[in-house]
Amino acid sequence: MTNLNAVDPAAVAQDAHLESADVIIGKSTIIFRRFMRNRTAVAGLLIFLGLTLFSFVGGYLTPWDKETIDPFNIAMPPSAEHYLGTSQAGIDLFAMTVEGTRISILIGLIVGLVSVLIAAVYGCTMAYFGGKVDKVMLFVLEALIMMPALLVVAVATSGGGDGLKKNLPSWLLLIIVLLVFSWMGTARLIRSLSMSLMQRDFVKAAQYMGVPPRRIVWRHLVPNIGSLLVLDITRGVTGAILAEVAFSFIGIGIKVPDVSLGVLIGGATSQVQTFPWMFWVPLTVMFLLTGSLAMMNDGLRDAFDPSSSSAGKAKKKNSVKEPAK
Amino acid sequence: MSSGTYLEPADPTSHSAAERLQVAGLYSPSDAVLSVRDLNVRFNSENGVVHAVRGVDFDLMPGKTLGIVGESGSGKSVTSLAIMGLLPPTAEIAGSVRLLGKELLGLNDKAMCAYRGNDIAMVFQDPLSSLTPVFTVGAQITEALTIHNPTMSKQAKEARAVELLAMVGIPSPKDRLKAFPHEFSGGMRQRVMIAIAIANNPRVLIADEPTTALDVTIQAQVLEVLHTAQEETGAAVVMITHDLGVVAGIADDIMVMYAGRPVETGQVDDIYYDPRMPYTMGLLGAVPRVDVAEKTSLVPIEGIPPNLIYTPTGCSFAPRCPLVTDACRDGEPELLPAGGQPGHKAACIKSDALGSDADVLEIFSAPPVPVSRFDAIPRGERATVLELRDVRKHFPLTKGALLKRRIGTVKAVDGLSFDIREGECFSIVGESGSGKTTTLLEIMEFHKDQDGEVVIGGLSNKEATTGKARSAMRRELQMVFQDPTGALDPRFTVYEVLAEPLQNAGLDKQAIRKRIMELMKLVGLQPDHVNRFPNQFSGGQRQRVGIARALAVNPKLVVLDEPVSALDVSVQAGVINLLDQLRAELGLSYLMVAHDLSVVRHISNRVAVMYLGKIVEIGEVDRVFDNPRHPYTRALLSAIPVPDPQLERTRERIILQGDLPSPLDAPKGCNFATRCPVFAALPAAKQEKCLTLEPPLESVPASAAAQTLESGRVPPADQQFACFFPDGELAEDMLVVHETAEPHAP
Amino acid sequence: MLRYLAKRGITYVFMIFLTTSAGYFLAVSSLKPALLEQERIPRPTPEQVANSMRLKGLDPDLSPWERYVEWLTGIVTRWDWGRSPNGAFVNAEFGDRVWISTRLFLASIILTLVIGVALGVYSAARQYKFQDRVITSYSYLAYIVPAPIAYFLVQLGAININETVGERIFFVTGISTPGMEQGWAQSLDMLAHYAVPTVAITLVGWGSYQIAQRQYLLDNVNADFVRTARAKGLTRNQAISRHALRVSFIPVAQSIAFTIPAIFAGGFFAEKIFAWPGVGSWSIDAISLQDVNAATATLAYGSVIFALGAILADFATTLVDPRVRVQ
Repeated sequence: MTNLNAVDPAAVAQDAHLESADVIIGKSTIIFRRFMRNRTAVAGLLIFLGLTLFSFVGGYLTPWDKETIDPFNIAMPPSAEHYLGTSQAGIDLFAMTVEGTRISILIGLIVGLVSVLIAAVYGCTMAYFGGKVDKVMLFVLEALIMMPALLVVAVATSGGGDGLKKNLPSWLLLIIVLLVFSWMGTARLIRSLSMSLMQRDFVKAAQYMGVPPRRIVWRHLVPNIGSLLVLDITRGVTGAILAEVAFSFIGIGIKVPDVSLGVLIGGATSQVQTFPWMFWVPLTVMFLLTGSLAMMNDGLRDAFDPSSSSAGKAKKKNSVKEPAK
Repeated sequence: MSSGTYLEPADPTSHSAAERLQVAGLYSPSDAVLSVRDLNVRFNSENGVVHAVRGVDFDLMPGKTLGIVGESGSGKSVTSLAIMGLLPPTAEIAGSVRLLGKELLGLNDKAMCAYRGNDIAMVFQDPLSSLTPVFTVGAQITEALTIHNPTMSKQAKEARAVELLAMVGIPSPKDRLKAFPHEFSGGMRQRVMIAIAIANNPRVLIADEPTTALDVTIQAQVLEVLHTAQEETGAAVVMITHDLGVVAGIADDIMVMYAGRPVETGQVDDIYYDPRMPYTMGLLGAVPRVDVAEKTSLVPIEGIPPNLIYTPTGCSFAPRCPLVTDACRDGEPELLPAGGQPGHKAACIKSDALGSDADVLEIFSAPPVPVSRFDAIPRGERATVLELRDVRKHFPLTKGALLKRRIGTVKAVDGLSFDIREGECFSIVGESGSGKTTTLLEIMEFHKDQDGEVVIGGLSNKEATTGKARSAMRRELQMVFQDPTGALDPRFTVYEVLAEPLQNAGLDKQAIRKRIMELMKLVGLQPDHVNRFPNQFSGGQRQRVGIARALAVNPKLVVLDEPVSALDVSVQAGVINLLDQLRAELGLSYLMVAHDLSVVRHISNRVAVMYLGKIVEIGEVDRVFDNPRHPYTRALLSAIPVPDPQLERTRERIILQGDLPSPLDAPKGCNFATRCPVFAALPAAKQEKCLTLEPPLESVPASAAAQTLESGRVPPADQQFACFFPDGELAEDMLVVHETAEPHAP
Repeated sequence: MLRYLAKRGITYVFMIFLTTSAGYFLAVSSLKPALLEQERIPRPTPEQVANSMRLKGLDPDLSPWERYVEWLTGIVTRWDWGRSPNGAFVNAEFGDRVWISTRLFLASIILTLVIGVALGVYSAARQYKFQDRVITSYSYLAYIVPAPIAYFLVQLGAININETVGERIFFVTGISTPGMEQGWAQSLDMLAHYAVPTVAITLVGWGSYQIAQRQYLLDNVNADFVRTARAKGLTRNQAISRHALRVSFIPVAQSIAFTIPAIFAGGFFAEKIFAWPGVGSWSIDAISLQDVNAATATLAYGSVIFALGAILADFATTLVDPRVRVQ
């Protein structure tokens, strides 16, 4: 379901679970250690870092770039000269994949980070001021949720004659539109979480001590929703990458000559029977990307959640040890 | 009867524990309805195997009541769940549980179902979450009937359900069958739980802390319902509780549990009047008494219960026991006869030396009663630290979709006036919903738009418009919260927690460090623990951190919101002693809100009783508690169970009808008239007065005050109450006396 | 209850009005149908284009605000959603397309919910066992595949089946074969057209429901009220299926608010890939044809679907949760 507006019920369930189970643990180092103990999560992190590195230095591994046409090799399978073969136009697929991966990762990271930032500011503002401000902001938020993002994306990226669109590369335009429609769910969650934190006794204690509100938000609220923010960043990155691929796949996201994984996959669909590598290579990269993020997200969630199954292993180990005592 | 097998790892594969015991000839034919032998329960946890129950033995005779007493983690609830077969399948259970001679352990879930809810039933602690929210109360009662009587007709089941609801005292039971649990209050839901449990006339009824989550007045009602249920069904009852007062009046036998083991068992009088195990003595001494004016320090039991992952090599209480010797650490003592009375056993090698002449205060070296320098100065001459003048907090209650209609006003706090002097502890008591917490919040809020005047250290809220004035007030007044866990930011170390108010007061780093070390010592924490996180402390220690934080800026007045209600009995005593000591040493004043009247009596100088947002009685604590004038105060006091079996059995109890009415339906005249035992007995002509006029808060007439004091010295009467007929007769049907049980002692 | 629904209804009407208006301004300021007209051969003069546009109510010389007022007046007074640059009336096309989309998604929505919830219950009952791991892993996998690519892969699979069998069992595009006779053959033809899109949408959709339902049920299996039910004499499984299950439906019912719009949004992709002429593909086409009125109409339709989903969720919640009923 690649609709930005759709709130993933699984994610909501998970967040509700986190909220009730007191995510809060002693220290970030404990979380880091728990994360590093989780092999899947570390593998995810490594794959993601590897792909990022690949997307930035991969270009130096081949003499070809994403624009040069090789007239002697058109629609060729992988070979020594073209590691991943060439497209029908005779462009090196390896070079295009490197470029596409970079654009996809850029879109993912920028949208993931910035949308969580927007959500945090918006959500905390709502929770902090409450009352009328909260009501109006909530209305705006819900109205935005109601807007079918996909149509707006389509209008924004395919309209004619607008000065803005001519001056901006299509990937930047897509980032902006994705940003506008990707922060609402998180903002709503942060709002409810901050509101319940405001009711917690330790926040009240700080208020009664006369600690200024700004300090309370910074020292008590933000660190305590930190885990949620981290989880939402990884989820946001995944969502943005998926959205880019989905939109570009049906031709309303990134437009040629800009390259992205979605453009590559979408462009290859018609030849999937005849030139399968053109389709499967970028698709595999996309799977590695989203898969590694999902693995990281899973590991992070386990690391934040003290009652998670990562304790299960310790249990077995100890019960084996027990009779030996 | 006790066994030594618990020291060896259980080996369920070779012989079942029951078989082994049979071989050993430990099974004697008895007429016990429930007979538990050498019950052991182990759980797997993240850190290792927890041996939660270690060798519990008891026999429950028909129609009798066994009280199992212990603190959280003592294994009392696990024992009950093991008997019911409700532990998760991962729990490893060994031993024997015989119900009417039939072995229950080892039965699978399906076979157990024939007994559960039929011969043996259970009432759980939290009535709010124990009923399925999506089914009607009637459906949940009839389900219990259907399971064990599949042939019963629908009409018969409904008739029985109505009968059951009536038995547990739910008004208009026929209509209430169709109600959902959320439409019931906590006390009512617990009644429904009891109705479900007794639906099939069980032989054994297990009640696991059935009244812990309830107000004292409701607790008295529910205990009464349980008593009725036991009489109606003739069931034997296992009453599990941490409150020695609750079981004093109703139990025949007591089993005290500690660290998963019974450490003392016996008839109720033997346990209360002749305890032979230091832990039992400590528990009895740790509870303040609501009926005793003489002030002594409470018995603090230092330390925390042992971690049950490690098999104890000596007496598990040894690390906390003041009488510990090397011999205590050499093997766990067995449960052996003590004190000479039949059935009285204690697991202590010194039980013979601990006769009734042993002084528990001396044994546990309870601190001397601290004396504040203000105690000698008459109250009238001390400075006022807090004054409330006619403070009100009304919430509008609105209804309607688009156009909100105001359908009424909730008068959470309605015209409150009182003052607190230097060095004084002033407490507010009342049921939940009486407005006592709202009062605290109103004081803490402190802004000029409030209805009424709050004066803190000479600074009125009406004048405190500048931030400077408000921060000056914050230095006068600090707060300690009910839940020590929630009140400390889990991401802060203790150092950071304590530094926050100091930084805010503008102290430099050096001064902060010094002050924090002082504070740690002051509240009895080790100074080198400042770098720990709250979750590395026990509940009592966390509350000490909370107290230290409140004291950081040297306030004059500390507001205590139920400061010990979240703590275990033994820990509670230490915190109460600390509060008492700090008040004396630092000349602090306290404003405390508490529902536990025993604690209030112990540490307060003055007390106010609140009902529906109003003070109905206020005055010096001993005067109010020894000579309560308002019927509500009388009812509250009579509802508090006292850890004294003989007194409990003969005490006359006022059982208030129903719950606290919604503040919305507050009647025109006296708020309390709807539940008042005096009102109920008044002739109609006098009732009219209660219904139309609001009784003012008036002083006790001087003559009456003089009469109550035998010494003849006439003190200034520091007691006011709001009732027209304080000396009226009490309605018969609201009075209960249980004189049935004869004392067990010869 | 009615009062409450009425209140919600009014709020949503207001929101739909706002989103649609915002959408209109966005569309009117970025879609320029006149530019496309000028690419026609023989190339019309700018005057001709402007004239033809004016006749269809798409006057490019008017300011966006003036056009908005005109458009809104049309809707309010005549329920006329305007015309496309090619002269077609939006109202006329709208009905057909809504019917096609609804047909495509109704079965998918029901299947998604039923399968998702059923698998959630099934996997919760077998927590950490083999079946649970397989099902839950699948759901997580579905989460990291973009919907259009998943649809495309299902389409590929169907083509492969057709090729392997050597006979055209499934139609991977279109809604029906034209010129079929009434009766059995037509039903079979319809089924052959419906099968692939429905399966594709359902396969992608149920994952999140499975995960949610599993989580909610697991949260409830150790609830106090389940223990009470067992203490009455129910076995663990009976207690869970009679008591925990119903309670765990409550949050799932609430999430219906998001399913229906999500599936419809996924429908944009599905209609595009399976070539169904529904609202989704219409909206994409409208945008590429610079059709302001049609694009706005589809946007309004999306908002209405969202509002319907939210109201339906309210209904479903009241149905399963008595605590909400006493409002």
